[in-house]
Amino acid sequence: MIWKTAWKNVWRNKVRSLVVIISVTIGIFGGVFAVAVMNGAIQQRVDAALNEEISHIHINNPSFRDNYDIRLFLPDADSIEALCRQIPGIEAVTQRVILTGMANSARKSTGVQIVGIDPDREKQVFGLHRRTMEGTGDFFETESRYNLAFIGHALAKDLNIVRYLIDQSTIDRLKDRGLPEETAEKLIPFIGFRFSGEKDFNNEMKQCLSLNEQTSYGRLIKEEAWTFRERSRMTLTFLDANQMQTGAVFRIAGIYDVKNNAFESGQVFVRNEDLRRLTGLTGHQVHQMVIRIADLDRTDEISGLLSQKLPGLEVMNWKEIQPDLAMMTGLVQQFYLVFMIIILAALAFGIVNTMLMVVLERTRELGMLAAIGMNKKRVFSMIMLESVFLSLVGGVVGMIFSRILILMTARNGINFSNYEEGFEAMGYSSHIYPVISTGFFIMVTILIILTGILSAVYPALKALKLDPAEALRTE
Amino acid sequence: MKVLEIKNLHKIYNTTQIRVHAVNGIDLDFEEGEFAAIVGPSGSGKTTLLNLIGGLDKPTEGEILVNGVNLSTLKSSEIIDFRLRNIGFVFQSYNLIPVLTAGENVEFIMGLQKWDRKKRDERTRELLKAVGLEERIHSRPSKLSGGQQQRVAVARALASKPQFVLADEPTANLDSKSTETLLEIMESLNREERITFIFSTHDARVVKKARRVITLEDGKILSDETRN
Ligand SMILES: Nc1ncnc2c1ncn2[C@@H]1O[C@H](COP(=O)(O)OP(=O)(O)OP(=O)(O)O)[C@@H](O)[C@H]1O
Ligand SMILES: [Mg+2]
Repeated sequence: MIWKTAWKNVWRNKVRSLVVIISVTIGIFGGVFAVAVMNGAIQQRVDAALNEEISHIHINNPSFRDNYDIRLFLPDADSIEALCRQIPGIEAVTQRVILTGMANSARKSTGVQIVGIDPDREKQVFGLHRRTMEGTGDFFETESRYNLAFIGHALAKDLNIVRYLIDQSTIDRLKDRGLPEETAEKLIPFIGFRFSGEKDFNNEMKQCLSLNEQTSYGRLIKEEAWTFRERSRMTLTFLDANQMQTGAVFRIAGIYDVKNNAFESGQVFVRNEDLRRLTGLTGHQVHQMVIRIADLDRTDEISGLLSQKLPGLEVMNWKEIQPDLAMMTGLVQQFYLVFMIIILAALAFGIVNTMLMVVLERTRELGMLAAIGMNKKRVFSMIMLESVFLSLVGGVVGMIFSRILILMTARNGINFSNYEEGFEAMGYSSHIYPVISTGFFIMVTILIILTGILSAVYPALKALKLDPAEALRTE
Repeated sequence: MKVLEIKNLHKIYNTTQIRVHAVNGIDLDFEEGEFAAIVGPSGSGKTTLLNLIGGLDKPTEGEILVNGVNLSTLKSSEIIDFRLRNIGFVFQSYNLIPVLTAGENVEFIMGLQKWDRKKRDERTRELLKAVGLEERIHSRPSKLSGGQQQRVAVARALASKPQFVLADEPTANLDSKSTETLLEIMESLNREERITFIFSTHDARVVKKARRVITLEDGKILSDETRN
């Protein structure tokens, strides 16, 4: 009876209730969707980091990470690997040789980490091969008698291995893809001109195109002007097993793009066989064992077991290697909570205001209800329910809308291409697939109900303070 | 059998400017099945007296016993439940919950008392029939005339089978036709089901129907006549 009455009371002043409900709808819709976008970006970052950059557990010589000295091998790598393979829950293991050195092209040189790998085994642990950019080659699939290197897009730009070039065919292709004639005309003066760096190209485009053209077509032009010099090479220099400076020319096997500039410009992958030949390392001398596990929830358990079984070696799981990832997966959930609480707190003021008006308007009626025998507990719960209905209706509608928008955008993602550089500088993809767990919706529902209850406390207490005899006398 | 005993009742309102002795030493008894009118000029203390009897207000002095239970011994939370079970109320206006239908309004009190659905439905129909509004069970109060609304209020007041029904000027807002109908209904409920009615009024035609007339002036009983 009280539930029914409270529900009907919500619709007594339709306009006023709808204003509150719509504001809650908008607040929840915006909040949930914003969280889903944030969460999607973070999830993608974490997935990328785990699948392409670090995997799950590293084993190395305890001092290796201090100075990356080539002589700090894992003692007896093969028996360590055999031991790993016996532990259930470990999916794949790969061995790596890791050197620090310099990557040089004709005009530039930059410090890099050179990672020697066995491509086939590496693929079982990492998904980096899937991030090979179209038209740049492959992940060591093609046999070659030259030294091969698989490098990141950012490094390729730094070393001028990829560049920007506009010629007649570029302009034709752009027109095919919908570039308007007048914009295309502005590009004609650039025909035959090579831009050695992305920055130069961007600057020139900024000067010759209007802001509107830049936002609409900037990315398209950049895509078409981008060229990769086939059979490009670079030199890698590093210290060999005897601490002697050495180096060699490497051909580019392929270029990968993981939307993380720091990783792309710092990690160069080469075949272990090439590296051994150049450094004089033997097949048993590796620096790192990288392990992929089946279930991330067992991370601590498995890494704990490994460090127990491998005393004297450094065993680090992904949470220790990149604490920010662990923080993201944990702390960020609390941040979402705080974010939603702030939105709901703002909405609560509207609800409190409405409920105060409700109590004021119905003074006589509340007096009558008390007179006919409705006790304080019931008056209190009726007002509270009315407030909860107000917030919950808005909240549920908001959640449904946000869920629909999340489903709609999750298929193809949302492309913040205008901010691509900023995103990638931080290691995030600008193409975001919003995602949020069902648990989050449950939590938001609870928060909405709490908001309704808390917003009603003050108005309901006011209603309880009414003296029925007094209330009945008011006109 | 006495359903209500009032002993030396006083109510003094102390406002900042003045001190009003709204009820000034009243002694009254009501037997089961009475049909009593309280009359008196405006400000004579009719509403105050009814509110005190119903436990809506606390007396400054004196005692009220409903079916032998002294209201002043009940805690304020107990008084509300006591009212729910023992006393029916009808006011001058704004008696009904506007968002509920006539039937739901009558049912409301039984709902609060947690009657089961079947019993509730039965009694609601029975009561609405008694006040001649069986057909309007699904109408909202705004779709009913003032007189019909008051009849629904009477039906609701009877829902929990109270000891007596208190009605403060139930006909004040009604035209003479509706007044007559409402009184006929109250009278027949009183006669056939022995329901005790105590109501205040200004209206001479209403006074005529009462079998007992208590006249108040300045918070005191001026006269108390019973007729047949
Ligand atoms: N809450 C209050 N505070 C102060 N004085 C009050 C209060 N309620 C009633 N009074 C005073 O008590 C006296 C009796 O009022 P009451 O309402 O009982 O009269 P009444 O007989 O019902 O009048 P009416 O016929 O106009 O309804 C009046 O003088 C009134 O002003
Ligand atoms: Mg009065």
